[in-house]
Amino acid sequence: MEDGKRTWHIATILGIASVPLIIMYLFLVIDTVTDTTAGSPIPDRFTFEHWRFLWQRIDGRQSIWLVTMNTFIFAASTTVLVLAISSTAAYALSRLNMPFRRFFLAGILVLHGFPTITLIIAIFLILNMIGLYNTLIGVILVKAALELPLGIWIMKGFYDSVPWEIEMAGIQDGASRFMVWRVLVLPQVAPGILALGVFSFLAGWSEYILPQVLAPNANVQVLSVYLAGLIADDLNPDFNLFKSVGLFYMVPVVIFYLFFQKHLMNIYGGGTKG
Amino acid sequence: MTQQTKLGLGFMGPAIVIVVLLFLAPVLLTGFFSFTNMSTATGISGGTYRITESVLNRLPADQVRPDVIVSLSESQFVVDEAGLEAMRAEGLDPAFIEELAERHGAEVFTSGDDLEDAMKDLDNRPRSIRVIKGAVDMFERSLRDRDFAEEAAFTAALDDAVVDLTDNERVVIVQAAYSGWTMTTSNFSRLWSTPQTGQVIINTLFYVGMTLLLFNVGFALVLAITTTFLPAGQSAFFRAIWFLPRISPSVLYVLLWKWLAWDTGFINAVLGQFGMAGRNWMLDTTANAWVFVILINGFVGASMGMIIFTSAIRAIPKPLFYAAQVDGASRWQQVRFIILPQLVWPLLFVSTYQTLSLLTSFEYILLSTEGGPGSTTEVWSLSAYQTALSNYAGNLQYGYGATMALVLVAIGVAASLLFLRLFNFKHLVSRPRIEQ
Amino acid sequence: MQITLDKFTKRFGDVTVVEDMDLTVGKGEMVALLGESGCGKSTTLFAVCGIYRVDGGRILFGDRDVTRLSSQERNVGVVFQSFALYPHMTVAQNIGFPLRVQKKPQAEIDAKVREIAALVRIENLLDRRPGQLSGGQQQRVALARALIRRPAILLLDEPLANLDAKLRLDMRAEIRRLQQETGTTAILVTHDQVEAMSMCDRVAIMDRGKIVQFAPPRAMYDKPANTFVAGFLGSPPISFLDGRAENGRFVAEASGVDLPLPSHLASLESGRPIGIGIRSEFLDPSSTATVSGKISFIEAQGREDLYYLQLPDGKVVRGIQDAAHSAQLGDAVSWGVNTEAMLVFDADGNTL
Repeated sequence: MEDGKRTWHIATILGIASVPLIIMYLFLVIDTVTDTTAGSPIPDRFTFEHWRFLWQRIDGRQSIWLVTMNTFIFAASTTVLVLAISSTAAYALSRLNMPFRRFFLAGILVLHGFPTITLIIAIFLILNMIGLYNTLIGVILVKAALELPLGIWIMKGFYDSVPWEIEMAGIQDGASRFMVWRVLVLPQVAPGILALGVFSFLAGWSEYILPQVLAPNANVQVLSVYLAGLIADDLNPDFNLFKSVGLFYMVPVVIFYLFFQKHLMNIYGGGTKG
Repeated sequence: MTQQTKLGLGFMGPAIVIVVLLFLAPVLLTGFFSFTNMSTATGISGGTYRITESVLNRLPADQVRPDVIVSLSESQFVVDEAGLEAMRAEGLDPAFIEELAERHGAEVFTSGDDLEDAMKDLDNRPRSIRVIKGAVDMFERSLRDRDFAEEAAFTAALDDAVVDLTDNERVVIVQAAYSGWTMTTSNFSRLWSTPQTGQVIINTLFYVGMTLLLFNVGFALVLAITTTFLPAGQSAFFRAIWFLPRISPSVLYVLLWKWLAWDTGFINAVLGQFGMAGRNWMLDTTANAWVFVILINGFVGASMGMIIFTSAIRAIPKPLFYAAQVDGASRWQQVRFIILPQLVWPLLFVSTYQTLSLLTSFEYILLSTEGGPGSTTEVWSLSAYQTALSNYAGNLQYGYGATMALVLVAIGVAASLLFLRLFNFKHLVSRPRIEQ
Repeated sequence: MQITLDKFTKRFGDVTVVEDMDLTVGKGEMVALLGESGCGKSTTLFAVCGIYRVDGGRILFGDRDVTRLSSQERNVGVVFQSFALYPHMTVAQNIGFPLRVQKKPQAEIDAKVREIAALVRIENLLDRRPGQLSGGQQQRVALARALIRRPAILLLDEPLANLDAKLRLDMRAEIRRLQQETGTTAILVTHDQVEAMSMCDRVAIMDRGKIVQFAPPRAMYDKPANTFVAGFLGSPPISFLDGRAENGRFVAEASGVDLPLPSHLASLESGRPIGIGIRSEFLDPSSTATVSGKISFIEAQGREDLYYLQLPDGKVVRGIQDAAHSAQLGDAVSWGVNTEAMLVFDADGNTL
């Protein structure tokens, strides 16, 4: 509550606590277009040299564009799967009379809080057994599956807020339940679909562990694995290059976030990330 | 079945399939795998039966008689009816076969060369050396380094090679010769008896406790409360800053910390201005490693609490604050008597949720210290991951790793069931209002 | 089309909301289901349109048994309390939706939409979205959507509850006009007795899942079946007094009341416990039968005032007098009562 009292001391304390973050993110941007003399904290030359990864391969690695394409395919396919499955399943859970409904609901409720990462070992073995190890499709399936309980949960919340009367009016007007869903209800939950879509896309875009463990093969490398590999291999790290790749990697995240801030806040608030 | 039942099950179908395949199955299989000795060495599909050097070395300890071991290790060529039959089937000269049976029937040779020499001495021997060598192979009865896909075939071959095998010896040898994975409870006893387990538990408790207390709940609360008192612009700025780590891809976020802390990093560059020697702040001492592990996780974790607490504070009716100010309450009294009582449930929720999350996630530690230096910042989840899926030795112990993961899965299931109780489940299952 | 409910029963889990209900709505008739919330009136409506499954008995449209038919097969137009317009569609799309479902050609839909829009007088709003309409306009759109298929049956669930007071008066007349012009059989669900009485041919008063009385409004007001109906209808509410019959008179000593019974009940046996109901308009200065007490409260109502007459035992009789009446708060007065109009009930509350 802003109460007219002076608040500079609060701001100062918060400011000091935020110093590491401010420095890190400020230099994330600055360092991509400058050079710094070794041993000095302050950059002294302007250069585009660190963005060379855009037009040439780094240390014989794959082209960044191929990796970006993989990442996009991974994130987009995950999103499509999550959206398609959550928007139908959540509607069924929210609105349709069917056997085992209570059971399904309890299941989703339990799963949406479940720490999925603990399953990675079993999932690794399963993918090996069914032959989807080291394939993009395998990681997409797994990522979508792990995202699904949260997705269904979120969509169910949106469906729950659609007035029943709209559906009742729909069936009175003679529409089938499917048509009611597609023509009358789906448009009402468009904000939910948008929010979940953006969330899934960003989650897929940022995912590291799953592709690293389930598809380490270079053919299907995604940006997170590419960047991690870049950092891990280097004895004499070129942080300016890493940051440029990193900033390139983060641009879509920032853009999405700026546009969908409010929706995302809600989902991240109940999200699964540590 | 009514129209909506059909539609409902149809709509649920894909979700059910995926959830069963990639949630339920992994949970159950984690349990199953933890009772196996699956590893890179055993492979994950079935194995074969094969007497190798290491198998032979293990046998004396299992009360297998020395002469049995010798006969298993020797190569053997037995002129038996099966071999003769194979020669006939190949269409070799019947006279040659007849003579071989007559002069060397049931004889045992300890090397192929001996049998070859014996064949060359026969009157009806074929002219081609290649044919003779082929014939020799038909009598090979040695087990050493031969693969058997089926247990039955291996047992039969075993009985051929060693005539007076006891039942116990047969079982022991078959077991020892199997190269695939088998069911075992040894993972649990190993987990129980390994001294490292205790250290990892202590590390885990320290990591979860400190991160939770200092950041995910502690600093999150400070952020939420202090930004309530700041002007709108400033509070939005701080919330945005502290939200950045959450939306940053993990690899990039940890990269920034490395840039801050490594030998050639920012801290050293600044300290270097004052003539201090450079060091790797993240990894040079155990204490420093812990500081960074907690900072890295805490700076991400604080934002979730911040969001939830902030919205809980915003839900408090404004007149309450006005009334308190009219009553002369100081800022601290407003926090103590108005804000904190409203945060009991959010605090409980964030604590449980984040405890679970910190217990099970290892991404940031893996990317920053990898459990080092040494294994001083090794926590349970990371340890499970490294045991099963990534280590330098190259022998990935899936079974043992699954055992470690099983502990976390069990905690996860228990916590999820707790959430089920905390949420008002009755309210969630309100009946659909359209019945037809 | 005639609607018949035959021993209709509806349960939610263990709770029986409506039990063995019989009701017949004649062709072209408009009937109100009137009652407090929770009496089962909306449940009945939702069963008639097919949203709720029937747990016992039958529902007939004409001779056709529709008990097991889905909503889509019943051809019933419904107007919901919240209007339930589709927010993402224009008014024209909303109204045309039932025809779109039937896959009618667009030209035909457009023509019908314009026709029905003219009927409910919203031709100029067709391109707007529901969010841009006032409550009354939304109501008209909802009516148009319900009527465009020319349904044989129109169901209205508290259609006026979401409108402000002045609009309600207009829409009452408007809905009645549309119902009569289209000759549709209609059921109106409401908790507002004025709405029920002013709009409908007959009113069914419901209490705890049962129909208490089913009659035309006037008849019901004049001859309520019991104290429940008498108490429900009429504003200001009727005043009840308990006592006994005594030689053709009603006597309640504690209240100091002694009035002659209506002539057709003069022969009631003495000593029988009975109750009477006095509506506020039954006060009649010219009558010699009086009740006496003190004026405890006066409500100014404009043309007339409503007086609360407190009897010796604290019971209250409400009466309407001209605003010109000069009694003051605290005055002790005796008022004449039109005892012929008085309602008399037996000990169980049923009208004698």
